[in-house]
Amino acid sequence: MRCGVILPGASMAPLHLRHRAGASGSGAGALGWTPVKNPGLRAAGLKTRAAVEEGGKVGASFYDLLGISEGGSLEEIKRAYKKMARKYHPDVSPPDLAGEYTRRFIELQEAYETLSDPGRRAMYDRDLARGLQFALSSRRRFDQELEEKAAWRNRWQDQLETLKMRSMQRDSMENLSWGARMRRQRDE
Amino acid sequence: MAFSSFSYPCNLMVVGASDPQKQSLFASSLFGGASDLLCFHQQHRLLKGRKRSCISASLSEGGEYHSQRPPTPLLDTINYPIHMKNLSIKELKQLADEVRSDVIFHVSKTGGHLGSSLGVVELTVALHYVFNAPQDKMLWDVGHQSYPHKILTGRRDKMHTMRQTNGLSGFTKRSESEYDSFGTGHSSTSISAALGMAVGRDLKGRKNSVIAVIGDGAMTAGQAYEAMNNAGYLDSDMIVILNDNKQVSLPTANLDGPIPPVGALSSALSRLQSSRPLRELREVAKGVTKQIGGPMHEIAAKVDEYARGMISGSGSTLFEELGLYYIGPVDGHNMDDLVTILKEVKSTKTTGPVLIHVVTEKGRGYPYAERAADKYHGVTKFDPATGKQFKGSAPTQSYTNYFAEALIAEAEADKDIVAIHAAMGGGTGLNYFLRRFPERCFDVGIAEQHAVTFAAGLACEGLKPFCAIYSSFLQRAYDQVIHDVDLQKLPVRFAMDRAGLVGADGPTHSGSFDVTYMACLPNMVVMAPSDEAELFHMVATAAAINDRPSCFRYPRGNGIGAPLPPGNKGVPLEIGKGRVLIEGERVALLGYGTAVQSCFAAASLIESHGLRITVADARFCKPLDQALIRGLAKSHEVLITVEEGSIGGFGSHVAQFMALDGLLDGTTKWRPIVLPDRYIDHGAPVDQMVEAGLTPAHIAATVFNILGQTREALEIMS
Repeated sequence: MRCGVILPGASMAPLHLRHRAGASGSGAGALGWTPVKNPGLRAAGLKTRAAVEEGGKVGASFYDLLGISEGGSLEEIKRAYKKMARKYHPDVSPPDLAGEYTRRFIELQEAYETLSDPGRRAMYDRDLARGLQFALSSRRRFDQELEEKAAWRNRWQDQLETLKMRSMQRDSMENLSWGARMRRQRDE
Repeated sequence: MAFSSFSYPCNLMVVGASDPQKQSLFASSLFGGASDLLCFHQQHRLLKGRKRSCISASLSEGGEYHSQRPPTPLLDTINYPIHMKNLSIKELKQLADEVRSDVIFHVSKTGGHLGSSLGVVELTVALHYVFNAPQDKMLWDVGHQSYPHKILTGRRDKMHTMRQTNGLSGFTKRSESEYDSFGTGHSSTSISAALGMAVGRDLKGRKNSVIAVIGDGAMTAGQAYEAMNNAGYLDSDMIVILNDNKQVSLPTANLDGPIPPVGALSSALSRLQSSRPLRELREVAKGVTKQIGGPMHEIAAKVDEYARGMISGSGSTLFEELGLYYIGPVDGHNMDDLVTILKEVKSTKTTGPVLIHVVTEKGRGYPYAERAADKYHGVTKFDPATGKQFKGSAPTQSYTNYFAEALIAEAEADKDIVAIHAAMGGGTGLNYFLRRFPERCFDVGIAEQHAVTFAAGLACEGLKPFCAIYSSFLQRAYDQVIHDVDLQKLPVRFAMDRAGLVGADGPTHSGSFDVTYMACLPNMVVMAPSDEAELFHMVATAAAINDRPSCFRYPRGNGIGAPLPPGNKGVPLEIGKGRVLIEGERVALLGYGTAVQSCFAAASLIESHGLRITVADARFCKPLDQALIRGLAKSHEVLITVEEGSIGGFGSHVAQFMALDGLLDGTTKWRPIVLPDRYIDHGAPVDQMVEAGLTPAHIAATVFNILGQTREALEIMS
């Protein structure tokens, strides 16, 4: 994230990062201030493996598959998908091309599912920006989900800690909210 | 380890192991062995990836779920939440699985809301484990996801009566159980009520917790924000659980596939889920705090908050700005996470209002529901093993479908016609309209007030908006109807579905009051069709009325088989003109809306006793067909007005007119037949009509009573 906050004692950062248990799994924490790239390094390993295993189409992004630009709106995506789906659907494809068309169709569906969901599209765009363009397989999606869940866990653990911290100061005399007043009264 | 988060059958093998006989039974009925179990899982996982397919690929038809209710040893020991307190997390997970199968099997027998209940099974179990209902108040917004809650709070043995006459309500209901803290049915009321309970608790000096569970769909309604805003200001301790399953509209699919969530809030919530937490910056801030320590603690805390606000997803600041402390997103199907968080929050002494953002999957744990585009939101009875619903075949379609067809026909002819609904594309039939005219159908989310004023704005620009909102949901937007539409005489058309009694949904959803509240408005044209053909004509009439607002009401249910106009295109009726359907003598039944059908049936009951009475269809409540009423009053001894609405509606308008016109000064009698002055509980439509006294038998008995032929009246009623 592009936060331009300058913290006192920032030079202590690398020490701290190195000691941190790699919850997001980056061994390259000592590199310093590159949090965005770090999680991707581990994930890149998984993705490459998956691509090699499944012979995924290298080089064609979902946007290419659908034939739209990367900034396409949901309407464009839908329209493009419908157009292509009508062409490549197994029921209407010419019999000799059925196998290839069906594969295409499945890829199209995957592309549509990813791009029509804003959360997944955001993730996909990020991966794209890092140069990883493989078609998502359901197994890779599973890995990504695990990663995501781990990230969530970290976040709410932080939030709970902060909640506890804040609750200590919550009902100090400066807090004039109705709730604080009632709590002070109740605790007397 | 990976399999622990997998779906249901894996854990079930553990459950079955305790009883060798039963294990062999359902092992064979399920998979026939462990190896099959594994490849089933892989297949399931792959299939899961395809779940959004609107064209069904070759899915296996054969049982992906049990055909018979599996044993539920743990659930059998639990009647009330207090029995859960000694369970381990592992047992809680098993309990969740058992509750899930219990919900599925019960709903398969009774019909009801399935998908939403399946999504909150883990959440319900975790809540009841951590908190102590009924002292701790739990509020379920809308209430249709409360089936697991009911199972765990002493109503498991009554689940087979769900949504039936004299049975459990499909929503939470205070009079049903002390564990139901607040009655729900309409959405977005839970945070307001929870805040009220929290403040009440504070004033009374009590110490219980208050928890509101609200979905992301219900979050789109304004009342949720009004409540959160007030909660942030008052700073009273309470917990709001935002159950986010990305399903905003109901049912959660249109005809061509799942509906992407409407509104900007959903993408904000999505961004929340996908933004990577930059722990590093916060770690630094914490490290700094530790280094500085002591007196600089407050400054460091401020830095921490500042950094936190910048780092956390752009959506959480929305809730933070409103004054709620945001925690999440949390995996709503992970029992460990849920229990940890709830325990932490409960044990924190003063929290103020806290919002826990829980991400769940609607229909989770039942493969057919997970795959269905509408996630099996509302289902009829179905077969658990195959997921096939038993849809009764009726000779006619529902009024909802007829309305959609009529509107499409009108919109083909007139390009100014647009349709608006509030997150009810399936329920109002406007999904068909959306498919035909994607640019002219507007789903505003659960925001009826906004929908009405939005329609008013459209009308200002010369468009012809049709607001399709259920009669009971339009109650929310009453001021907008009066102030924004009627006062300014803007030509907005209201299509009020689910008018009258609605059966299994009960009084929260019944449209008992719309005739009353619409007909008293000065500029409104109020009409009601007596059958589906009339509905087509009234849609055309409404389309033609362009100088004032108009509305028409139609009930839940199917048509009677009247012949439809050619091309589905109705012919506009003459405004303020009713019609006489049967010419008779002595008594006239003047029906409004589909009550006319009951009048027909009553007339034939009476005819078998040798009296032929008149039956008329008023068609319009406003303006009334004065000539018709005068004629009927002058040529009959008794005029009975029949409607499926409350006092103050059609009958009252007729009485007012008759009084002013001097028609009541002679020997003519007027009697009203309306809904009684009490709420009619949920049940089968037939039972409800009996309870309300609106059946043909009741009408016929009323006729005989007035004529003094009490013996015939008693005969009919027994």
